[in-house]
Amino acid sequence: MLTQKAWSPYVAGIVIGLLQIPAFLIIETALGASSSYVTVGGVIASWFDPAILNIGYVARHVAINGKNWWQVALVAGIAIGALLSVKLSGARRQSISPIWQRALGSASPARRYTVAFFGGFIMLFGARIADGCTSGHGLSGMAQLAVGSTVAVAAMFVGGIATATLVLRRI
Amino acid sequence: MSVTLAIAVGLLMGVVFGFALEKSRVFEPGIIVGQMQLRNFIMLKVFLAAVATGAVVLAALNGFGYVKLAPKAALYGADIVGGLILGAGISLAGACPGTTLAQIGAGYRDALFTLVGGLFGAVAYSYAEPALSKTFLGQGGGKLIFSDLAGIPYWIGALILAAAIVVILVALESWRPWRPELGNDADGDIASASAAATKTIHIVPAE
Repeated sequence: MLTQKAWSPYVAGIVIGLLQIPAFLIIETALGASSSYVTVGGVIASWFDPAILNIGYVARHVAINGKNWWQVALVAGIAIGALLSVKLSGARRQSISPIWQRALGSASPARRYTVAFFGGFIMLFGARIADGCTSGHGLSGMAQLAVGSTVAVAAMFVGGIATATLVLRRI
Repeated sequence: MSVTLAIAVGLLMGVVFGFALEKSRVFEPGIIVGQMQLRNFIMLKVFLAAVATGAVVLAALNGFGYVKLAPKAALYGADIVGGLILGAGISLAGACPGTTLAQIGAGYRDALFTLVGGLFGAVAYSYAEPALSKTFLGQGGGKLIFSDLAGIPYWIGALILAAAIVVILVALESWRPWRPELGNDADGDIASASAAATKTIHIVPAE
């Protein structure tokens, strides 16, 4: 099973959902990912502009406590887990997914890197406005029946579908 | 709990998370963009299966009194505006904040640009936060959950949600089976797979 290239989406989804057990029992928080960008981004930005730590929002996120740095470790672990899975299955990837040539109408890596940077920028800017991403609002908020998270997830799909349909080309 | 222990737990959980993301193929740009173009439903399946599992787990943990819920406050303006921008970013990045790291682990080089862009986006928001939180984006209610609105215990509401999701997934699976949506190289690239199939048909000589 560990050497398979793909699992059923249901098996994988159940494994991900079970991660709420250690999150709630040990860390006393829900699964999430986007706060860690504020923690890491805030620390790096403070090397250039120490005054950023005077912003309460940044100070709260870079504080040395279990919840902040647990999430940074979690997202770092995601990269390690994915690498491990690829090593076991041999599902090696090209440096850019072949779908981008069609979606962007260009095979230029520079173009893809620019779109990726911009996409990443607004993805986190939006996630921080909404106070959560696919994990925090999606997986955790919806499982907790949170009203605001359900609204955020609906908006996320509306924004995603509109952009993928109107801006990107058919893949 | 010590920060060191929290980091160790986080790393271990992250490895499992990343492993499952990679195996589900939901980290693939082809699967994510395919979902947003409504031609590939693997992302929705992984997502809903994880939500239903989380709901059952939390129904038990909360129902038996082991854990307190930690829902986010309902800030509708921020949820809608932020959600729309986040969704646009997900389509352009072909990733979410978490799956960006899975893409890096799996060897996608463009994901490094997504990550750096994301860090810049988070820092830009941090500078804007004191001003933005004074606007309508900072306005909203408390930690509202549907089961309270319906006047039922959380655990009952969570089990109802999980049951509804199971029904949706059974219907979705019979409408769009997941295996063909993986594509030839398990990257959600269905168009190339069908193009290759069409080509094979064309080179069959006419008798």
